[in-house]
Amino acid sequence: MNCDELRDHYDLYALDIAEEPERGEIRTHINRGCEVCMAGVKRSLETVALIGASAPEAEPSSQLRRRILASVGSAERRAGWIPWWAAALAIAALCVVAAYLGFNGREYERTVARLRSERREQTAQITSLTEAFAILSGPNTTEASFGGMQPMPPQGKVFLNPARGVLLIASNLPRTPANKIYEMWIIPKGAKPVPAGLFQAQENGSAMHVQAGTVDVRSTAAVAVTVENEAGADQPTTQPLIVAAVPPAPR
Amino acid sequence: MARNQNARVSARSDDGGGMLPLILAIYADPEEPALIVRLQHRDPKALAELYDSYGRAAFALVLRVVRDRAIAEDLVQETFLRVWNRAHLIDSEKGALGPWLLAIARNRAIDYLRSSAGRERNAIELNETDHAPLYREMEAEILISDQARRVRAAMDRLAPNYRTVMELAYFEGLSQSEMSVKMGQPLGTIKTWVRTALQSLRNDLGVAVPS
Ligand SMILES: [Zn+2]
Repeated sequence: MNCDELRDHYDLYALDIAEEPERGEIRTHINRGCEVCMAGVKRSLETVALIGASAPEAEPSSQLRRRILASVGSAERRAGWIPWWAAALAIAALCVVAAYLGFNGREYERTVARLRSERREQTAQITSLTEAFAILSGPNTTEASFGGMQPMPPQGKVFLNPARGVLLIASNLPRTPANKIYEMWIIPKGAKPVPAGLFQAQENGSAMHVQAGTVDVRSTAAVAVTVENEAGADQPTTQPLIVAAVPPAPR
Repeated sequence: MARNQNARVSARSDDGGGMLPLILAIYADPEEPALIVRLQHRDPKALAELYDSYGRAAFALVLRVVRDRAIAEDLVQETFLRVWNRAHLIDSEKGALGPWLLAIARNRAIDYLRSSAGRERNAIELNETDHAPLYREMEAEILISDQARRVRAAMDRLAPNYRTVMELAYFEGLSQSEMSVKMGQPLGTIKTWVRTALQSLRNDLGVAVPS
């Protein structure tokens, strides 16, 4: 068949509903590099892709990104795409966190403004805040403090929620040397520390870190933080500068 | 490429809405060729970026087809791995990752739907639309939520019959004869509806028409 006889079938072909003999003919034309048919089918595919975009909005779980990256051997833990409502939720969450940390109003507004305007970097922060909010507001969250006894040292709290994960909020963290990073550890009772994510402190020494996911709070003895090489470590290689002993979980 | 550049400029200057020339070009990402090259070199960060751009659109699409979140996530994972493993097939200069990825996602989903329903596979070999070489020089960086909303609006403006054939074919994976039975219409009518529907969509959204 010639191209002219096929043109009415490009759309059907792009939708996978062309029938024989046209389907096979179009395929033959494409395989032999027929420019007319390739251009026509391409245009149809383009429109068909738009139909895909008309699916109702839906948000995959935050684990999906991690799963996909892990399946190609990347351990990167950054946030996924955030819809507007999650951004709104995150700003609400920031409110809670801000109140908790005693941010002053101006600082808070600046932070919110920054969150609203900076797109890329924001994504990770917003996800953390959303996850942090889930942990702070979730039922069955266990709270542990650290650093209260020392004069200058990192201080803060750890929150553990069996369904949501672990949230660490710290202040007075020293700056890490170049090429070093903070690594959080979940230390089970009578077992080796389990890596729980990497983070950096802000210039002012504060940090918030979330390890989202489930956590067995009852069998957790402590949450700790060490300084490690930028890529992170499988086991701590330095003395922890934070150790928060976890009290028995609430019933 | 020159055409792309122009499209981008004119789309930007028409930012206020209204006419929507080359909707797909608005967000055309000049860094995409670099992203494709990084994928081809198996840089996991490139996969992360790809996911951040299209993960949500792919998930929404697959969920609409299979209607089960857990299954949809599995299929989206398969989709990204497929792109990861087949990135060498796409033209790094002019490839359109988004539409290609969505086509793969849709194929995975329809494939699942058919096999789980024990339905006979369509005569059509679905993988055909994985056909990477065709995803070249598309005016397409699709599917950031803003545009998706416009596409949905355009779909809503279609006459109900047109919209239905689009949805049955695209999201349910029905063949023409299956649609004909389902809608109680002759095959020829279905064929015409499909074509008219896609044509209206094209016109409405201002997708470039080649001379
Ligand atoms: Zn031809």
